[in-house]
Amino acid sequence: MIKKFFTIITVLLFALMVLPLLRQIAPFEELAPVAAAYAEQGPDQLGAANLVTSVIVTYRGLDTLGEVTVLFIATAGVGFLLRRDEEDQLPGDGVPRETPREASELLGSGSMLLFPLLMLFGVYIFLHGHLTPGGGFQGGVVIASAMLLLMLARVSFHLNHLIISLVESLSGFFYVAIGVLGLILAAGFLDNRILPLGEFGTLLSAGAIPIIYSLVGLKVGTELTNVLGTMRLTRTQQEEDV
Amino acid sequence: MKRLLARFLIFAFLLLIWLLLTYPFSIQELTAGAAVSLLIALFSVGSIPIFAEMRTGPRAITWGIAYLFVFFFELVKSNLDVAFRVLHRKIPIQPGIVKVRTKLTSRIGRLALANSITLTPGTITVETKGEYFYVHWIDVRARNIEETTQNIVSKFEKYLEVIFG
Repeated sequence: MIKKFFTIITVLLFALMVLPLLRQIAPFEELAPVAAAYAEQGPDQLGAANLVTSVIVTYRGLDTLGEVTVLFIATAGVGFLLRRDEEDQLPGDGVPRETPREASELLGSGSMLLFPLLMLFGVYIFLHGHLTPGGGFQGGVVIASAMLLLMLARVSFHLNHLIISLVESLSGFFYVAIGVLGLILAAGFLDNRILPLGEFGTLLSAGAIPIIYSLVGLKVGTELTNVLGTMRLTRTQQEEDV
Repeated sequence: MKRLLARFLIFAFLLLIWLLLTYPFSIQELTAGAAVSLLIALFSVGSIPIFAEMRTGPRAITWGIAYLFVFFFELVKSNLDVAFRVLHRKIPIQPGIVKVRTKLTSRIGRLALANSITLTPGTITVETKGEYFYVHWIDVRARNIEETTQNIVSKFEKYLEVIFG
């Protein structure tokens, strides 16, 4: 009884807290000044058909670089906490190694058929980030999901960590390098106008945005693949420990 | 030679999908699509076996198009059948798992068959073992393997045999 009473009191207090906010809600009649400036000048200034992308990659490009960095640190953290050296997995530590069960035939054939398609779709998403919804992060996740499919379907599948790290580091490096080029050749860091803007709405438009987004896509894709690979290694390890 | 052909098939397949994705045709998209498809075709070594088994003759393609209609018809038919069972006052179902046999040997053919069985309501492919598929069936009308195969597999297999082998 007393518990119910307190519950009701708490709910009422919450309502009292939210009430002032409720009264302030008014439909947006017009864009905020910054948003209005982006919306008006964006297409002419940067030449990207997808306004969201011009905001993410150019106007707020530094924030995006920060996001990529956050993702990188998260990946590094996962790797640091979960990775064990592959040598640990080799037999000889007294524990009989049980080979993991093979995936079903249908999963195997399905992954063979779908893997190239998923890769293509991922590349399509990040290459068309300046034209259609989506971009580097989304495309990268699709690519990582293609790699996940391979890991699920093939027990013997081994990630080539060298290539993955190489692609990841190089794309990160070139991302920053293009940003610095913007500082030298155009108005500021990550300015996309270091390349001609091209014809509005075509693949080769919006200056450096497609290149930047492709690099982001490759970086996100390889990073997430690395996370998945690390987790997979740990998982099989634990199963063997049991 | 066969592997090279398979790689080329992957490339052509990807390029076709790319051109459909970026529909209003332009030279820029074609170039980018060709480059991306080539890279992926070189990269996806693991997909070669399934593409190496594909048939590309005119007979396989015409039967493939015919199969779309056959499958669509079966889809509608089984949808109506399951809807009838659901709406029926007594709900006449007899669920169970039956064993069926398939003549298909290629990976893609078996994949297409298993997915055709799963996509038509009322039947789900649960497991495969060699030439046998285990199928969950909403209404187990028959138990011996010849009859179950006749009921579930034959209507699809006729076509898939020609298309994929």
